[in-house]
Amino acid sequence: MSHDEAIILNAVVAPGHDGAAELVVSLRHPNGGLETVSLDAELGFHLMKSCGVSSAADLPGKPWRRILEGL
Amino acid sequence: MYDIVIRGGLVVDGTGEAGFAADVAIQDGKISKIGPSLAAGRREIDAKGRVVAPGFIDPHTHFDVQLLWDGAAKPALEHGVTSIVPGNCSLSLAPLKAADRKAVVGMFQQIEEMPPEAFTIAFDWTWEDFAGYRDAIAKTLSVNVAPLVGHSVIRLFVMGPAAQERTATPAEIAAMQVLLRECLEAGAVGLSTSFVDVDEKGHPVPSRYADSEELDALCAVLGEFDRMLQVVPEFYATDITIARIDQLAELSLKHKIPTTFSPLFDSRGNGDNAPRAIARVEEQFARGARVWPQMQTRPIDLSFSLLRPSLFFARLPRWVRVLRQPLDQRIASLSDPETTDKMIEDAGPDGGLAMFGALVLRGGDAAPAELTGQTLAQIAEARGQGCARTLIDLSLEHGLDVAFLAASLGHEDTARIGPMLAHPLVHIGASDGGAHLASFATYGDTGYLFSEFVQKGHLSLEAAVKKITSDTADIWGLKNRGRLAPGWAADVVVFDAKGLARGEERPVFDMPGGGMRYTRDAVGVDTVLVNGEVAYADGAYTDARSGVICT
Repeated sequence: MSHDEAIILNAVVAPGHDGAAELVVSLRHPNGGLETVSLDAELGFHLMKSCGVSSAADLPGKPWRRILEGL
Repeated sequence: MYDIVIRGGLVVDGTGEAGFAADVAIQDGKISKIGPSLAAGRREIDAKGRVVAPGFIDPHTHFDVQLLWDGAAKPALEHGVTSIVPGNCSLSLAPLKAADRKAVVGMFQQIEEMPPEAFTIAFDWTWEDFAGYRDAIAKTLSVNVAPLVGHSVIRLFVMGPAAQERTATPAEIAAMQVLLRECLEAGAVGLSTSFVDVDEKGHPVPSRYADSEELDALCAVLGEFDRMLQVVPEFYATDITIARIDQLAELSLKHKIPTTFSPLFDSRGNGDNAPRAIARVEEQFARGARVWPQMQTRPIDLSFSLLRPSLFFARLPRWVRVLRQPLDQRIASLSDPETTDKMIEDAGPDGGLAMFGALVLRGGDAAPAELTGQTLAQIAEARGQGCARTLIDLSLEHGLDVAFLAASLGHEDTARIGPMLAHPLVHIGASDGGAHLASFATYGDTGYLFSEFVQKGHLSLEAAVKKITSDTADIWGLKNRGRLAPGWAADVVVFDAKGLARGEERPVFDMPGGGMRYTRDAVGVDTVLVNGEVAYADGAYTDARSGVICT
């Protein structure tokens, strides 16, 4: 695992403002900063696909930059 | 003789002071006197055992379209809401050139989920300027309306299609300033903008193309009138929200205006979100800025159907694979016993009882109406199936158009949210009344404030009333509203303190063209008066049309 890029710490499914399920992704940046971002279904499934996982439970440890792939 | 006397109730006057037993006399649309044993009224309202409070004020709604055929903004009024603020999130129905109506209708449909017929058969579109819209709704109002003007429509009016393509030139910004000034002079109580919303094609709404110079210039005009800037920040990312709080604070300080942002909610998986945002708000208020976070009272339900892939299944790989297939392939897979046996196996040894059993059938879709409100566990038991099998089979039987609801999965922890709602800098709002029609009911948040947070001791009765009456009026600068005091507008709600609540969510088909929406009935509200006239009593709306454009 590289330490010079943002890494996914956790991914939790939660209802968003509009009642649709969202993926709440916690990140750790290389400088130690923590961040949390909510993804809608399209982006959430895209992240899972680009990280090569079929369950959100397998996202922790994957590089956050993968979300950019294919966008 | 007074016009109306509300007799013998517990007067909770909106100031936060302790309630007291008194009569409330009303004359010529205003509170005339409050005290014991007042003289008779032409109409007497018995309020013994009831609370008599100022009408509630909802600062975040999207009733802009509905007001054109329903001046009561049903069911808002029956919940005790006597004043509403439409025009939030950068969208209003004026100022708007005829040529731009189609574009704005698309944006409204994206946000409000209102059927197309609402824009074609329900009203005559006669106006282009803000005063014209104001006059169009003012004829039949039963509630008071304090309208915002939307940044997106101002931009569209000045720039045309370029409003969704680029930043504005100095000349265009100057023209927007002139237009905003006209709207404020015509009764707008502020400007709304959005950094988040998209139109029906997924394109950012016009306000999102504005640069900081444009927003600053518009806030300068708001400063001339001491009017509100309402903002939808990037609420899905806490750090960006905090950056927006700082931006709003600078605008507030520079132009001496109040600002508010919405929504702010407590989220599973991001428990720091609301506390961090509130802490930043405290810091900015300490500097003298006014940045009011709006927080809703109701929990957030999660809803889905198998028509579209939902992240609800994000931890079930086989379900994800099937549900992300194109519709025809998805239906074929869900009809294949070998595939579904494996999916059901993944749902747990109990057949999905723990995972899916508490899901509720929402209704308003292709499922039989008699199943509305039942849990999947109940339906599965009646069918003699497991829950996962029932979820799949029931969906298949109705073309996958079966909506399921997982109740209270977000913003649901009363012990966390209660203290936030009670915080003096947290503005109770963000109901979104009149929006998300086909997704969930945006009504009854006021009742829920009392049934959940007052009953469980997080706010006193008086504090809760103050939060949604005088606090709201003061934040928005609404004159002579939000308190029960002689000379103030007679917007009054009479309710049962212990019984005030919201009804169960249910689908109704009362939109133009028979369109569906989810709604909630009021519980525990006896009487609602707007400007001294009884607008709702004994479970029914009256013919009163005493609502006004209020500023």
